[in-house]
Parts: sequence; C-alpha cells; structure tokens
Amino acid sequence: MNFAFTDEQLALGAAVRDVLRDACPPAALRTERRPGWRGLAELGFFAALLPPEHDGLGLGLTDVLPALEETGRACLPGPVAETAVAAPLLPKAAGGELCVSVVAPGQAYAADADLADLLVVLRPDGARLVQAAELTPRPGIDPCRPLFAVAYDAYEPLEAPAGPVLHRLAVATAAQLVGVAKELLARSVAYARVRTQFGAPIGSFQAVKHRLADVAVAVEFAAPLVWRAALALDAGAPAAGRDASAAKAAAGEAAALAAGSALQVHGAVGYTDELDLRFWLARAWSLGAAYGTSAVHRERVRAALLGGDARRWP
Amino acid sequence: MDLDFSPAERDFRAEVRDWLSANVPDPPLPSMDTAEGFQAHRAWEARLAAARLSVVSWPEEYGGRGVSLIDWLIFEEEYWAAGAPARVTQNGIFLLAPCLLRFGTPGQRARWLPRMASGADVWAQAWSEPEAGSDLAALTSRAEPVPGGGWRLYGHKTWSSRAAHATHGFGLFRTSGARHKGLTYFMFPLDEVAVRPVAQLDGLPGFAELHFDGVRVEESMVLGEAGQGWSIAMATTSSERGLTLRSPGRFLATADRLLALARESGDPAAADRAARCWTEAEAYRLHTYATARRIMAGEAAGAASSLGKIFWSELDLRMHALALELLGERAGETPWLDGFLFALAGPIYAGTNEIQRTIVAERVLGLPR
Ligand SMILES: Cc1cc2nc3c(=O)[nH]c(=O)nc-3n(C[C@H](O)[C@H](O)[C@H](O)COP(=O)(O)OP(=O)(O)OC[C@H]3O[C@@H](n4cnc5c(N)ncnc54)[C@H](O)[C@@H]3O)c2cc1C
Repeated sequence: MNFAFTDEQLALGAAVRDVLRDACPPAALRTERRPGWRGLAELGFFAALLPPEHDGLGLGLTDVLPALEETGRACLPGPVAETAVAAPLLPKAAGGELCVSVVAPGQAYAADADLADLLVVLRPDGARLVQAAELTPRPGIDPCRPLFAVAYDAYEPLEAPAGPVLHRLAVATAAQLVGVAKELLARSVAYARVRTQFGAPIGSFQAVKHRLADVAVAVEFAAPLVWRAALALDAGAPAAGRDASAAKAAAGEAAALAAGSALQVHGAVGYTDELDLRFWLARAWSLGAAYGTSAVHRERVRAALLGGDARRWP
Repeated sequence: MDLDFSPAERDFRAEVRDWLSANVPDPPLPSMDTAEGFQAHRAWEARLAAARLSVVSWPEEYGGRGVSLIDWLIFEEEYWAAGAPARVTQNGIFLLAPCLLRFGTPGQRARWLPRMASGADVWAQAWSEPEAGSDLAALTSRAEPVPGGGWRLYGHKTWSSRAAHATHGFGLFRTSGARHKGLTYFMFPLDEVAVRPVAQLDGLPGFAELHFDGVRVEESMVLGEAGQGWSIAMATTSSERGLTLRSPGRFLATADRLLALARESGDPAAADRAARCWTEAEAYRLHTYATARRIMAGEAAGAASSLGKIFWSELDLRMHALALELLGERAGETPWLDGFLFALAGPIYAGTNEIQRTIVAERVLGLPR
C-alpha cells in the first residue's frame, strides 16, 4: 500500500510541465492549434500506453496521471487524452504517431476533429476506425476545443470493445480536469492577493477566503478518486467502471466549482476575452461535458451502488 | 503508486475482524454519557486492551503493537464496520497520547500511557473556556507555582467532553501574560476539580464545566516546558482534525448503512444523495491512505488537516440528515437519531469549520490575513 506517485510517474509529469511552460504559454492559446505537441511527442507521451515492441513506453494509465494533469494545468489544446488513450487500439505503428479524435456514444460531435488523422467512433456495439470524414464546424463553449459534426461513408471495425476505452477516456479527462481546477484556483489566489478594494486585498475578505477554501477541499478530495480509478482500470478491478464514473463526476464538479469561483473572484475582468482566465473557464466546462457529464456519471454510480455493487476496491 | 494490501496487512485485518465478530457487545452498550454506560465502555476498553487491540499503532511497551498507520486504518475500518462501541478513551488515546509520545518524559509516558490504553484512566480535554472558544489563546485560566515545587490551578473550563465521568484532564493554563508563549500544558486528576455536568442536545451530561480553585498538581504533571503549551497543543490539533480522531472507517460504515436505507426507500432522489455520500466516504478513505503514507515518510499533517476536517464533518452531517429524512417518524427507534445529534457537533468541535476554512485560505492557499 503506497498510494503516492513514484519518482518516475512524477518525473514524466515534470517533463511535460517543462515542455509546456516553453511551448504552450497562454499567448499560444490564441494563435496556435497544437502548441507543445511536438515536444510531448518527443518525450514519447502520446505513445506512453503502447507496448515497447510498438515503440511505446509500456506504461499504464496510472503512470501518466501527473502528465495528464499538467496538460490540464497548461490548458493544452488538441485531443490530448484521446490521442494517448486511443493509441493502443490502432493498427500497430499508427498509435502514438497519429492524432486521434473520438466520437463518444451519446455524443454527436467530435472535438478537435480538424486536427485528427483518424477518428475513433465508439458505439455500443463496438468501436470503429474512420479514415476520412466530412467535418462541419459546430458552435461550442471552448475556443481551443472546437466541435465538429462528422459524416463518413466507410469505416473499419476495431477489435477493442467500446466500454473500457470510454472508461479510460473518462479517467484521463478527469485527470486533466483536476489540473484545470488547480490552475483556476491558483489564478484566483494570485489575483485575490493583488486586487485591492476598500483599501485591502480582496483575498483578505472572509467571503472570498471561504469560497476558495471550498474549491481547495473539492479538488483535494476529487484527485484520489481519479488515481484510484486509474489503478482499478489498470488492474482490471471488478468495479473499475463504477469507480471511473465516480472519478469523472467528482473531477468535473470540482472543476466547475473552481471555474465559477474563479470568475466571481475576478469580477468583470474575468468576464472578458482579454484575460487568459477565459481559456481555463472554457476548458473546465468543455471537459466537464466530455465523455459523460457529471450528472451522467453520478447516475451510473448510483445505478451500480443501488443495484447492489457496493464492493470497495481495495 | 499502488493500493495493494500486503499479506501481513490482510492477515491483520482478518485477525481484527474475527476478534470483533466474537466480542462486539450485542445488544450495544448504553450511552457512555450515563454512569452505567461509562463503566461499560471502560470495561470494553479493558477487553480490547487485553487483546492488544486498543492502541495498535503505539509502541509495544505502552500496550500497542507498534504497527503502521496503514494497519491502524485497517483496524479502524474493521472496528466501525463491526458496529463496535464508541471509544470512551478517545480524547486521551488520540489527542493527549500523541503529545505525550512526542513531548513527554520517559517517566510520564510509562506512568500514563498503559493506564490510558486499558481504560484504567479516562482523560478529558479541557481547552475551551466561556470566553475562549474559537479564540482559544484568549484563555484566562492560570497556574501559579508553589514554592518548593508543583503548581496550583485556577479558573473555569467548559465543554469538556466526558469530564462528568472521567478520571483525568489535560488543558492549557496561563503561566505568564504572553498570549501564546504564556501558556503551559497541564495534566491533572479530576477528583479535586469541581465538576458541573452539562447536558447536551440528547439530554445526557456529555459535557462538563470544570472549576479550579487552587487545585494542587505536581511538577511532573507539566507536559513539556512552561510556556510551551501552545505549540504542543497545536501538535494535537492536527491529530484532532486529521486522520486520528475521525478516521475513515466510521464514515465508510455509516455510508454502507445509508445506502441500505436508501435502497429500501425506493426514492430515486434519496438514492442519488446516498450514492454521492458513499463515494465521498471513499474519497476520504483514499485521501487518508495518501496522507498516512506522507506521515509515515516523516512529513507533518499540518494545516492540510483542516481540509479533511471540513470534509468529514460535513459529510457525516449530510449522511445523518438524509437518514433522518428517510426514516421520518421512525428515526428515534434507530441508532440514527443519536448519530445525527453527534454529527451535528462535527462542524463545531476541533475548531469550527469557519475557522478551518480560514486556516485553509491563509495557510494552505496563502491568502492574506
Ligand atoms: C460536542 C462537542 C464537544 C466538545 N468537546 C470539547 C472538549 O472535550 N474540550 C474542549 O476544550 N472543548 C470542547 N468543545 C468545545 C469546542 O472546542 C468549541 O465549541 C469550539 O472551539 C468553538 O468555540 P465556541 O463554542 O465558544 O464558539 P465561538 O468561538 O463563540 O463561535 C461561535 C460561532 O462564531 C464563529 N466564529 C468565531 N470566530 C470566528 C472568526 N474569526 N471567523 C469566522 N467565524 C467565527 C464560529 O465559527 C461559530 O460558528 C466541544 C464542542 C462540542 C460541540
């Protein structure tokens, strides 16, 4: 029992952070579609989940959690979780090289499909690989995660069943949401320390303090659910799907709370396009809705628990 | 990172489970806030101690088994899942003992810890005063040195849990005027203190006021040095707020019972709230495994324990409030009513949740005072 990241897991996270600090600064979010991707590819990040014989790092989902969290903290655009999680499903050699966008069951649109070399369409009866599709842009909340309606004529069935892929995507997205929430909190705290009203920093007012303390509590207790879900999926634990839903719901709710509080603490300037905060606000909402909203995942947890599956893991 | 229990941890869990299933009193003991219930709970502590299960994480010489914090968390999960009695010794074993182990002399440890572990002595915490609650450092009870050695205690403490029946107390007394550095940590027998029991919401005397009118204590009843009381007390507060006083096992057991209740009710909105509580109890458990690992690696729990205190106390209250809603007029026929009354106090004791939120904001997040 050692529920703490190993040095290797933390080192991959730190390497991703270093790459993104230089290659994906907030200014790049306004001008580039995929800043930082080359550097992450050179680290092997997108092939992290592939076995070494396919030029991957042979890692599990748990191993890349700190790295995924960093991509959320940096608000890294592009289908990051999709490309990394889908890599092991693709015909060998393609994984890790090609950019992948995903259409999830119950969702009509694919995010970032303009960047994708391949589309993975998850349907209840299985997963499909689409090479060529007609894309129609659809309006959405996140300027760095554009949505597209997808039409295609031909597809190849993939061997992988859709369910486990979806669980992994939900948990990878949850890890990004934890990063988004932490960044929103850090930006709120930094602003509250310097913005002065009534002759005092607004962060000295108890209403502001307590609101941000609640965000800290939500993030603090969402993160361990995400780590556990990844471990459960890697281990093939019996209730891993339920635990993945618990993780996605908690991380989505923590990020939504962080976003609402960040906007309130910033006041009007937070409500502008000029402040970079808008990118993290949008990411909290767009990833919160991706691969099942918090409400959908809460409902899945409820159904599992009420249906009698209240097994704890470990 | 892993969540795997070792074979030794699994064996320990099995031993605890077997012992509890053969020994947990049925029917449950009467409330420990009655004279009869207090003695019954003390006798239960003696049985636990005889099986070396009362304080498993303490060193063997004081009645423990010297096991890790992870084993202790396993013990707690099994203890609460088995529906075993509340711990009448809790303020001694969880709040005073960590201070004795860290700041006490070998003589003090040998004298007090084994008796605490067996329930022979039951300790009450005497911090709060009528005019010093959240602002604890405003306390005015004082100690005066006696020529030739020892001290005399004067003043008025209040809200002291279980002091109506306990044998000893520990608290802070002023030995000089300095707000924090003028405080000294004293232990004292309760037999010469004037104790006025105070009934709580359930009508039973769970609190007591303590009046000190020159109560004489020996020099060996000072923990640490004169003037060190505040810093020693702060070391206990992180135990109190953090994983020792309210470990996850208690909330996991409550969440399981709540889920069963919600299932029976067939009410989908209640099921939703129960499932959320169950998941949050899991989150507290997982978070605590991570914290335990950090403490085992030598890190201090520190201000981060305030995050946990907010989380567990508000979760506990939500769980019991939902149970009461589901049970309606039948609630009083079940243990949920007492549980609800107990849970109501969680956001108040061990530092109110307003104070905890301020600590999180200032000391964890770094917002200005
Ligand atoms: C069940 C129970 C058991 C207890 N057991 C013990 C015990 O064994 N020994 C012991 O010494 N004490 C014990 N206490 C007392 C407990 O420590 C105090 O109740 C607590 O510290 C709060 O003090 P107070 O009750 O005087 O409230 P006050 O400090 O008067 O606070 C009243 C309200 O004002 C708020 N408030 C106060 N200051 C601030 C501020 N700066 N910012 C924002 N809000 C503020 C508080 O949060 C609270 O909501 C117990 C209390 C309970 C309920």
